[in-house]
Amino acid sequence: MSGQRYFEDVQVGEELPPMVKNASRAQLFLYSAASSNPHRIHYDREYAAVEGHPDVLVHGPLQGAWLSQFVTDWMGPAGRLLNLTWQNRARAFPERDLTFRGRVTAAADGVVELELREEDDTGQVCMPGTARVALPRRKGVEA
Amino acid sequence: MAVEDAPGLIPPEAMAMVGEPLGDPVSGEITRKEAQRYAKAVDDLNPIYFDEAAAQAAGYRTLVAPPTFLAHVVVQHGNVADLRIDGIYRSGNRRGVNLRAKRVMFGGEEWDFLLPVYVGDTVTAQTRLHSLEEKDGASGPFALMTTETTYTNQAGQVVARARGRSIAR
Repeated sequence: MSGQRYFEDVQVGEELPPMVKNASRAQLFLYSAASSNPHRIHYDREYAAVEGHPDVLVHGPLQGAWLSQFVTDWMGPAGRLLNLTWQNRARAFPERDLTFRGRVTAAADGVVELELREEDDTGQVCMPGTARVALPRRKGVEA
Repeated sequence: MAVEDAPGLIPPEAMAMVGEPLGDPVSGEITRKEAQRYAKAVDDLNPIYFDEAAAQAAGYRTLVAPPTFLAHVVVQHGNVADLRIDGIYRSGNRRGVNLRAKRVMFGGEEWDFLLPVYVGDTVTAQTRLHSLEEKDGASGPFALMTTETTYTNQAGQVVARARGRSIAR
């Protein structure tokens, strides 16, 4: 959490400070339970091999939830997430750093557009995405 | 009927389902405990999910649910006897879209968040088949299936729409 971000302070082209996640197997288990997802590829390594995976996989929706967190942490509590998109392109594994990066691509009328991506520790993009957020303006400042 | 001989991954019966519901609407109540359990499992400790005063200071009526929790609050648990070998429940209420494909992969999501979702809300989800398209990829033809789920709160307000993409080949 980095406090409140205001629309006036955002520059098109600026990079968001990266966020790193590194999921333990126990966290994947907790997420399976909290999201009511009994798919074995997320907690049973032997079964994951049957589906052709070298290890258990980080859930696609967990990576989506992290992307949401990346954006909501950046915008601050008074911001509003309007739209979020992601594409699950490559598998992500536990106990490896997953880095979330983003860049401001547009800013107009209090609304900011972001280009986002999640990379694994080899630099492969696991999940590109986009977001649109509404940011508050500083009090007493007219656009 | 020449239907059986039609080429491609998308049979006409599947194409005819575009726009139709893929099951009955499903409702779920957003409880504080489940929303917070989800936020903790994600390791997203945003105070607006945990601290009433922080949520109100941020302009909300009360605690909000993490945006992506919506997809999970409406999951209906099956019985253990209905689990398939991969751990997933056999689809109960859901109408399947039968494509001529060997493998279906989850491709991504696109969310519009229209209104806050609060702890205590009851959300109803209705999923429809939004579109089916056959495309040519580097490794051969594939079908792009998009479903759209509309989430409505107890006051009848649409709080979010989610489009999910699957790739079948």
